[in-house]
Amino acid sequence: MSDFIAQFVGVGHQYKKGAEIFKGATFNIEPGSFHFLTGPSGSGKSSLLKMLYLGLKPTWGSIRLFGEDPLTMKPSLLPLLRQQVGVVFQEFKLLDHLKVIDNVSLPLRVRGIEAKRSYRDARELLNWVGLGDSLQAYPATLSGGQQQRVAIARAVITRPQLLLADEPTGNVDDDMAIKLLHLFEELNKMGTAIVIATHNQRLLERSPYPHLTIRRGTIIRTPKRSKP
Amino acid sequence: MNNSQDLPLKNDIAARFLPLIIGLMVYVGTLCFVFTLFILSATHLWENQLRTQITLEVPASPGASSAPLQAQVLQVLSKTPGIQQASAVPKKEVETLLQSLLGTTLPVDLQFLPVLIEVSLNGREPIDIPMLEARLKIISPQIQLIDHRPWQVQVSSLINASVVLASTLTFLVLLTALVTTTFATRTSLLIHRQVVEVLHLIGATNEYIAKQFQVHALKQGLIASAIGAAFAFLTFIGIAALLEKAGLPSTSLSSFSIQAFCVFALSPFVTGGFMMLSARLTVMRGLRP
Ligand SMILES: Nc1ncnc2c1ncn2[C@@H]1O[C@H](COP(=O)(O)OP(=O)(O)O)[C@@H](O)[C@H]1O
Ligand SMILES: [Mg+2]
Repeated sequence: MSDFIAQFVGVGHQYKKGAEIFKGATFNIEPGSFHFLTGPSGSGKSSLLKMLYLGLKPTWGSIRLFGEDPLTMKPSLLPLLRQQVGVVFQEFKLLDHLKVIDNVSLPLRVRGIEAKRSYRDARELLNWVGLGDSLQAYPATLSGGQQQRVAIARAVITRPQLLLADEPTGNVDDDMAIKLLHLFEELNKMGTAIVIATHNQRLLERSPYPHLTIRRGTIIRTPKRSKP
Repeated sequence: MNNSQDLPLKNDIAARFLPLIIGLMVYVGTLCFVFTLFILSATHLWENQLRTQITLEVPASPGASSAPLQAQVLQVLSKTPGIQQASAVPKKEVETLLQSLLGTTLPVDLQFLPVLIEVSLNGREPIDIPMLEARLKIISPQIQLIDHRPWQVQVSSLINASVVLASTLTFLVLLTALVTTTFATRTSLLIHRQVVEVLHLIGATNEYIAKQFQVHALKQGLIASAIGAAFAFLTFIGIAALLEKAGLPSTSLSSFSIQAFCVFALSPFVTGGFMMLSARLTVMRGLRP
């Protein structure tokens, strides 16, 4: 078992009909760490996260996740890796035919946790993100900001080892953004490693966490700085 | 609470036709199967009789009693190897038979009717028919020997043919149900590939996803085939009533009805099980990278 949650060495991806995203991205994610992933729009933040949650295969380079090589491991074991990772997708990917409470409890159900406990946890979490009144609503009836919070609740409910969030504050006002950042910090205190892709300047300025910045096809790591 | 609804399978428009097809298939399939069973059980007795019986016609001589002639014939029969039992059909029985065929208004003089002697063979020793015939002709040249056994070959090949036909139909019906389920599941997997992708990304195993399709297919199969089987059962009862009216002994029919009922009662479970299995295999194959 490796000491890193994720290790990327010289990773790159080439979309079939598009640009080459990375030339060689090399970085590590340590257990319990907290990173912001930054870079201009179109620089490949979402693509990088996709490779981290095994939604996209690197065209070259090597990846290790929890010490395993996902490219060579048995496909039937991939769900076990994915179950350690929580993801807030940029476009949410909520299931429209399920109520908010069913969406949020889904990751627990998928892991075989009994319904009663799943619903209790989901209700608690939704109350915390201010959606206690919308448990029985369908996602399509909610605002963008509300949907984003549902997506966040679904990603954190399993207390994953690694949480990936793609622009998780893109649709909420600054106060809610700060509140959601607190949620991520709480989770981080309990041991979850966190990577947040964002270009929310206020969020970046008020937090001391190190940055992974995408620049010219590589990843540059800016170390932790002291809180202002 | 809603373990089987993480995929919106209930709303699949493309799969709406499936219960209808399954219901129809079960209707046709169970009736074919029951028909096969019926032929097998009803003809077993009949075929057996054909195989083990011959009939003698002893002419009646007007004015004289046929009793001495009868006695002679029975004596010859008792000395012939391979015969289990022989006895004359009582006049009364012949009379009722004739009346049922010709009606009671026609006066029939029983004196002029030949006496029928039913001979059962024991089936263990071979019987020498030409030899028996020759001996009987010595008693009276007008005695007729009717051997039913050549018929038996034709009857049994007819039975075999209908059994093959009916079971082929049953098999085809099952196959159609299977193929239809596979097709519907594959379509549904395609329609819901985005939901399936999300399920995968949040850690669902292929088994978890397949289970959703399985439970759905089982439910659909159980309900649709229960309805199909219920209609088939009603049809069967109707046909049985007609047959009974037409003179089929109700005792043989009622004992057969229990078998038939089992077929109708079990068919939803068999069909549902098959559909569940085929949904699982289809999904597991469809999700393989
Ligand atoms: N599925 C795809 N097919 C082709 N090109 C893509 C695809 N997804 C993203 N891209 C391209 O890859 C580049 C990086 O996209 P993305 O990872 O979404 O960047 P970011 O999240 O930083 O805005 C963009 O130029 C985008 O057009
Ligand atoms: Mg993006």
